[in-house]
Amino acid sequence: MADTQLIEIETLTKRFEDHVVLDNVSLDVERGENLVVFGRSGEGKSVLLKCIIGLLKPETGRVLIHGQNILELSVSRLNTVRKNIGFLFQGAALYDSMTVRENLSFPLKRHFPEMIQNDVDNKVRYTLDLVSLEEAIDKMPSELSGGMKKRIGLARSIITDPELMLYDEPTTGLDPITTKEISELILSLQKKLSMTSIAVTHDVMCAEIIADRAIFLKDAKVAYEGSIPELTASKDPFLKNFFSHEIINA
Amino acid sequence: MKLPQHRYGRRLSYNDIIYNFFATIAGLTIFNFEFIKQAFKPPYEIAEIKRHMDELGVKTFGIVSITGFIIGLVLTMQSQPVMQRFGATDFLPAMVSLSVVRELAPVITALIFAGRVSSGIGAELGSMRVTEQIDAMEVSAINPFNYLVVTRVIATTMILPILTLYVIIIAILGAFLAIAITEPMSFQYYQASVVNSIEFGDFIPSIAKTFVFGFIVGIVGCYKGYTAEGGTEGVGRASTTSVVLASLLILIFDMVLVKISLWLWPTLS
Repeated sequence: MADTQLIEIETLTKRFEDHVVLDNVSLDVERGENLVVFGRSGEGKSVLLKCIIGLLKPETGRVLIHGQNILELSVSRLNTVRKNIGFLFQGAALYDSMTVRENLSFPLKRHFPEMIQNDVDNKVRYTLDLVSLEEAIDKMPSELSGGMKKRIGLARSIITDPELMLYDEPTTGLDPITTKEISELILSLQKKLSMTSIAVTHDVMCAEIIADRAIFLKDAKVAYEGSIPELTASKDPFLKNFFSHEIINA
Repeated sequence: MKLPQHRYGRRLSYNDIIYNFFATIAGLTIFNFEFIKQAFKPPYEIAEIKRHMDELGVKTFGIVSITGFIIGLVLTMQSQPVMQRFGATDFLPAMVSLSVVRELAPVITALIFAGRVSSGIGAELGSMRVTEQIDAMEVSAINPFNYLVVTRVIATTMILPILTLYVIIIAILGAFLAIAITEPMSFQYYQASVVNSIEFGDFIPSIAKTFVFGFIVGIVGCYKGYTAEGGTEGVGRASTTSVVLASLLILIFDMVLVKISLWLWPTLS
């Protein structure tokens, strides 16, 4: 594996009963690169992310992060790898029995038990400031709007300074203005914190803002690959159809 | 931990129902082994256990107080005419207190506790499962089983015996009220009769089984919630089936434990 590569996925196959969701998918992601994974609903985009983080176990294939195949690691070694990965869920997945402050300090206290309370508080405030939501610190998740939840979810994912971020539909269900704000926030955080990222989406506006490179999953395989301008300008009838609909929706 | 999947749908065949029955038994057994494995693994979430104990105690305190008082009162009201017919009214305090200590307080408190707590745990963990909060913990390298399941099961196991002791006292007071309305019996005499009729040995099997009942309430609620699937419908199903399964297991284990305690302490029979 080349030194510049952070993730290498080799011949990954995942099926649910008889339905093959990922079929021999191979993919490399370089350090500092922002990759967007496109695909229609149900094409296995989220499944790919969950295989990368070890939430789902594929039938065959390897997922190498820093050269370690995470599918063969013990739980404790997998957790060591996971400490360097942030994951933003589609619905933000905030712990709804905790305030925003507790949501953010929860991973921090567990990963850095030696950290004193004052430092934890400062780090929580600093991270909330990065997502421009310091005023929400004592709110419960039920008091937040969809966009605010995404921002807090993002803040919780980056609070442990991960080197890799995985985004599962970061802008789904948001209006175009909030979509643009969240996408720009993701880009600025990636630059500020020098993170590598993989974002799963079918939102072209979001992809245009954050992506260096994109792949398109179709029929359980990587069907197309290139930059966003290359994909959107493609003469391929399927891509043309997909992007024309997406651009109209956006 | 790999748990067997259940079959859901609007129309389940008999095969599916039988399959689900065995899937539940197998799943619950695997879940129990996982609990035993994880309970001794650090980090020990002592603060979280205390928080759950506080919360569960407060949640059920009101309802078990009322239930305990009514059990004592009604049991006495029902038994009094029969005892009077045999001229054995003096034995009423002994009969009521033995019934309450040995059987009624542990079982009824456990059933009330199951209704209030098991469903709550099932719904809470179920909703965390379907909204990916449990996955979020897992990807943050935090052990969700240890944090969510172990803490709750230990809390329910520890709090139910305390609640049962409290219910015993309340039920005996309720029984005195029922006697005092119709019989000229002083509280001192009633208290002495109760104390003389109950031996320390009566408490041991009765309180020991409440630890088992508390464990059942916690583990069933956690199992149903932790394995919930299928959105809000799944959360509702987890909550309802938790109560049904926990109540059923409490009654089955009560039967087994009574037999065991009579074998271990023959003087009780």
